[in-house]
Amino acid sequence: MSSPQLEVLLQTLISGLLLGGLYALIGIGMTLIMGVMKIINLAHGELMMVAMYIAYGLFTLFHLDPYLAVFIAAPALFILGVLLQKFLINPVLKVDSILPENQVILTVGIGMVLANLATVFFTSDYRSTPVDYATKAWYLSDFWKSSPIELSLSYAWSMSFLIAVAITIALWFFLARTDTGKSIRATAQDNDAALLMGVNVGKMRVITFGLGSALVGAAGCLFIPIYYLYPDLGGQFTLIAFVITILGGLGSTVGAIIGGLILGVFESLTATYVGMGWAPVGRFVIFVAALIFIPGGVVSLLRRQKWGK
Amino acid sequence: MRRFTFCLAVIFLVSLFSSTLFAADTFNLVIPLPLTGKQAKFGEMQKRSYEMAVEEINAKGGVKKKKIVLSFEDSGAKPETARAIVEKLIDVKKQPIIVGEYTSACAKAVAAVAEERKTPYLVVASADDNITQQNYKYVFRQNAVNAHYSDGVLDFLKKVVKPQTIAILYESSAFGTSGADAMVKDAGKLGMKILLKEKYEAGSVDFKPILSKVKAAQPDVIYMVSYVMDASLLMKQIKELRIDAKLFAGGAAGFAIPEFIDNAKDAADYVISATLWTPQVKFAGAKEYAEKYKAKYKDYPSYHGASAYSAMYVLKDTLERAKDWTQDRIRDSLKATDMKTAFGPIRFEDKEGYQNQNFMDTLVLQVQKGEFETIWPQQYASKKYIYPIPKWRERK
Repeated sequence: MSSPQLEVLLQTLISGLLLGGLYALIGIGMTLIMGVMKIINLAHGELMMVAMYIAYGLFTLFHLDPYLAVFIAAPALFILGVLLQKFLINPVLKVDSILPENQVILTVGIGMVLANLATVFFTSDYRSTPVDYATKAWYLSDFWKSSPIELSLSYAWSMSFLIAVAITIALWFFLARTDTGKSIRATAQDNDAALLMGVNVGKMRVITFGLGSALVGAAGCLFIPIYYLYPDLGGQFTLIAFVITILGGLGSTVGAIIGGLILGVFESLTATYVGMGWAPVGRFVIFVAALIFIPGGVVSLLRRQKWGK
Repeated sequence: MRRFTFCLAVIFLVSLFSSTLFAADTFNLVIPLPLTGKQAKFGEMQKRSYEMAVEEINAKGGVKKKKIVLSFEDSGAKPETARAIVEKLIDVKKQPIIVGEYTSACAKAVAAVAEERKTPYLVVASADDNITQQNYKYVFRQNAVNAHYSDGVLDFLKKVVKPQTIAILYESSAFGTSGADAMVKDAGKLGMKILLKEKYEAGSVDFKPILSKVKAAQPDVIYMVSYVMDASLLMKQIKELRIDAKLFAGGAAGFAIPEFIDNAKDAADYVISATLWTPQVKFAGAKEYAEKYKAKYKDYPSYHGASAYSAMYVLKDTLERAKDWTQDRIRDSLKATDMKTAFGPIRFEDKEGYQNQNFMDTLVLQVQKGEFETIWPQQYASKKYIYPIPKWRERK
């Protein structure tokens, strides 16, 4: 492999991993909600959009860096998630209806309402937070003068990636070590057993929905410095989160992380070696392939190897 | 009962008379436009421009001493709605001339209706080539066609840059694809070798995979056809990867609007783009229009507005020369148009397979120090072009 080709390959892998890390964070939120509530939250991308508008507002009004906005947007989204769960989704859970999954349909409705509210309040103009470091990057040739190839690593992308990793680790810690975390996992594993063991399942559902929203809210803040914002942006990311959830294995956090990384790298490789117009096709090829060949997701493979828990 | 019928008849007659009386000193014009939906921004800009022009015309006595009364109908950029509006205007309101619409799809629908009912239609800002390629007798277009959009850029490439190779990136929409195909044809004429022609999905997050491929191919020119935000993301990531092409060129749209500079910031520097009109052109009235618009709405208009503004003057000129205001007389008078407007000289010609098409010089913009400057053709230039452009590494 000649050096320009190697350069293309390495640069593609770098972009893929960075993108994958962010995808994973979006996916984890959806998979958590999926695990505990057994529903797909199709308003996921719209919740992300709401968080991005919060970050955008803070940036334009107070010049607050979008990365710091995580600390405001994520709690705000937690509260929004809790409210949605308490006052909209829970009542619907109790109602008998022809469709067993009418909560899913409700989330679609919530998503539409959020997108249209954003259009009303912010118009459909494109927004962005032009931060100073948006196009700065580290270059391999700056560190290694005689390097035969040139690679670059963007400040903003790496920053977003690292924060995503930090949030993921914190989440893992929360789920593995804290009482509430353990209760959430118990609810996800077996609703009835958890109830019998004295877990307040109803409360756990509310917390989980809030947590899932907060995670995607954080992802929104990490996306806005490298991307842009408009009211209809949600659908695209709901779709990505959905693919990751299926790919990773429904309800599995580890699966969502691996699923996100696989999707990011796969999309980048498709873009480089097949054509960027094919990236969405690649996404659905993976989706269908996952459903056919590994219906339990990546995490089922891990379980078979006795790696995953 | 009889009395009641009598009353009705009187009211009916009076209203009939009054409407004909009013018609005597005004000329009613209804313009179909997208005022809601995705294209609403352009519709809004055109609406304001039409209104500004009509205000000026009426202040100077109107057309043949008649005031023009404007109103607008929202088509929402939907061809079927545009069609219905225009059918009503021609059949019910007997409006002898149709002006307006924005998207090519709507303009096509309107053109078909207008031709069928033998009513002249003036296209203001729709670029699809075949609107004026269908041997329509009654359809006129004052803005340039898509195929000629990048004429200015090509001329600049030929005379200044003299590139050997080119890479084309475009969004997978009708606009992106037709722009890229036009460039492929033109690149052949200039003897440029096409190293890469790649499309992408509008709204993509990460262009770096494809850009690193572009980087490895080392083209002289990178030509991009993109909508608003993709344009700035592309330039930002090009800067990040330090891709040093001799020139970065955009095919209008996303590269020629203020949002591009706002978002891409310094990554936008030295990028050139095709456009039809800028507030800096030296056509009589252009600057006055641009400044007046800015004073009123706090932003400079783009060519969409300038074309709409000038369309009202074309209309005034046409109506004044027409012997009477029947559809055919207006059509003949429109055909004979030869005037200078804020949008440039306007004449409707039949050539190159187009009918009733105005051919105009397209301009080239370059971003210099965070501002759009007109750089080509030289007679319209507001600043001298900067070429060669500095390498990324040497920029601050």
